[in-house]
Amino acid sequence: MGRYIVRRLAQAVGTLLLVMFVLHLLTTVAIQLNGTPAQAFFGDRVASPAQIASVERRFNLDDPCFDQPGNPCLGPFVERLGQYARGDLGTNLRGREVTDIVAAAAPNTLRLFSVVLVTWLALGMLLGSAAARWRGSPGDHGIRLSSVLIDAFPVFVLLVVYRYVVAVPLNRWSEQTFGENSWPPYWFKPSFDPSHPWATIVVPGILLGLAGSAAFIRLVRASQLESYQGDHVRTARSKGLGERHVILHHVVRNSSVPVVTAIGLAFVEGLGGAVITEGIMNIYGIGGVLWQAVQDDDVALVIAVVTLLTVVTVLVMIIVDIVYALLDPRIRYE
Amino acid sequence: MSAVTNPGTRQASDAGAGGPLLEVTDLAVEFRTPDGVVRAVDGLSYRVEAGRTLAIVGESGSGKSVSSLAVLGLLPDTARVTRGSVRLAGTDLLTLSRKAHRARCGDQVAMVFQDALAALNPVHTVGYQLTEALRARQGLSRGDARRRAVELLDLVKVPNAKARVKEYPHQFSGGMRQRVMIASALAMDPDVLIADEPTTALDVTVQAQVLRLLAEIQAERQMGLVLITHDLGVVAGVADDVTVMYAGRAVEQAPVAPTYTTPAHPYTRALLRSIPSASGTGRLPVIPGRPPSPAAMPSGCPFHPRCDAVRDICRTEVPPLATPAEGRTSACHFAEDIMAGHDPAPDAAAADAPAPNDGPNNGGGDHE
Repeated sequence: MGRYIVRRLAQAVGTLLLVMFVLHLLTTVAIQLNGTPAQAFFGDRVASPAQIASVERRFNLDDPCFDQPGNPCLGPFVERLGQYARGDLGTNLRGREVTDIVAAAAPNTLRLFSVVLVTWLALGMLLGSAAARWRGSPGDHGIRLSSVLIDAFPVFVLLVVYRYVVAVPLNRWSEQTFGENSWPPYWFKPSFDPSHPWATIVVPGILLGLAGSAAFIRLVRASQLESYQGDHVRTARSKGLGERHVILHHVVRNSSVPVVTAIGLAFVEGLGGAVITEGIMNIYGIGGVLWQAVQDDDVALVIAVVTLLTVVTVLVMIIVDIVYALLDPRIRYE
Repeated sequence: MSAVTNPGTRQASDAGAGGPLLEVTDLAVEFRTPDGVVRAVDGLSYRVEAGRTLAIVGESGSGKSVSSLAVLGLLPDTARVTRGSVRLAGTDLLTLSRKAHRARCGDQVAMVFQDALAALNPVHTVGYQLTEALRARQGLSRGDARRRAVELLDLVKVPNAKARVKEYPHQFSGGMRQRVMIASALAMDPDVLIADEPTTALDVTVQAQVLRLLAEIQAERQMGLVLITHDLGVVAGVADDVTVMYAGRAVEQAPVAPTYTTPAHPYTRALLRSIPSASGTGRLPVIPGRPPSPAAMPSGCPFHPRCDAVRDICRTEVPPLATPAEGRTSACHFAEDIMAGHDPAPDAAAADAPAPNDGPNNGGGDHE
């Protein structure tokens, strides 16, 4: 098991370096073809060559390789690696430390993600298990039909409809019913409120989780159905064990391996969903920061945030792999 | 009988010595299929007494496994018992609620399945699976369960039991895995053990070891053992009685020894001939054709299209399970002739036909 973890960690470091290098190459080519992003620093003002040069120096864009298309610019890359290794993620164009930006934005994204994950697991496990347990029943057909319906509505459609059609009347109604200072009006606030970060993030999180849970429900159902067919379930029943024990220890437990894998994949998918959700619901989170950075040509910030997201993703994947091995002994001993 | 300490088996001891532990009467099981309802088991009856072994022999699809799944209430959703009774220590299991039926599985009647790799759960340790029922149903503590698991592995002669209870099924060899399967069925000290082809997936040498082990444990505990197999060859050394099944019915039921010397049904006779012998030279006789599909049963005797002693009556009339001699039953119109070792007298009309089962009026219909 220890060896397995070490091997996965080594692979993770490799993946991380590769992603960073590809990211570096892409931005380098973009700079080489489009000219220096230092101009973005000045917005609409026309900057003198001396001013541009000083900005380029500040953001490590002064290396002559940025003017030679095709040059991979290894020097600045190694320099950035060293800088990141010391925990210095640099600053954005406005001179604000990237670490400060992330520290402010990440908690909201984490809040969003925890709501999404809970929604996901609750809906997926409950509805998927119920559909598998009573296969072919009207309930099963209903669950499958609604999961396809949810799939037909992309998350941004759900969010836009919610924000512009549902949220305002609900918000007004709950203000009248429960009073302005009670919790319900905050739940249905059409945009994020930093003074009530949890209350205003619940509904967007549930909607994002709902969108992702559709495929998850079907996956849980399929993998549990496979377990129900398994000979080992028949063996468990032949021991006279109660049906609840059989389902918990032989069906749900055995189908947990594909489910955990799916959770890892959904996390990655959720990062994409978070950018959209944070944008539509005005949540100040990592997705929003990244979106703004791309619009502002803020190369340093884009690279830093994407690198952080890669680190998180790779870590989640390692955790998934470890849990996977814990759940299935046949993998552990390979 | 050590099982008397177990409250669940009280009735078994009340039933008294000599009475059948398990008595299946006129069992019929039907499956819903896309082609309509088919009958997989049709009027099967058998009984097992304490300390005796009944072998149920038949080709695949003859209904031998389905009938034992019906005894444990483990039939798939598409199957249903349409008539008959399964009396276990005096109680008809089929009249019980599903929960009450399930509660008798494991501690009164237990089952050893064919493919141990699939039948054991890959994600739980062997020790967990051996004592799972004891812990969940009898509230055994963790420590007691571990001790009991080691005892059970010792009982089925798995070497180094203490270390191996912590291992997973895939770390065991085929024969050892089948021993684990047997140990898990024995965990609650059942009165009747049903072993469904327990040696089919194993090497021949390992087969013999596992069968010997089953026989030893059965004798020691005075269990009733139902041994399901397609191999009449393994039956001789182990079983007391034999039920030969064909197409969902019992075609011959008798003690082992006379069945081997004087089979009372052409199917049994053909099965015996097709056992390879060490001294045998020349071609091994095989039974021509295939067992009928339950969806398209031939008219008359289900075996007649493959029978080497077929007569006109066989094509039209289903032979009842008759008693041609003391302790013998056979579902053949000519059971006495077959027992006596000769073929029945030829039909008057077809006397000059070249071969009995070669005539143009072979009533098998859609069978080859």
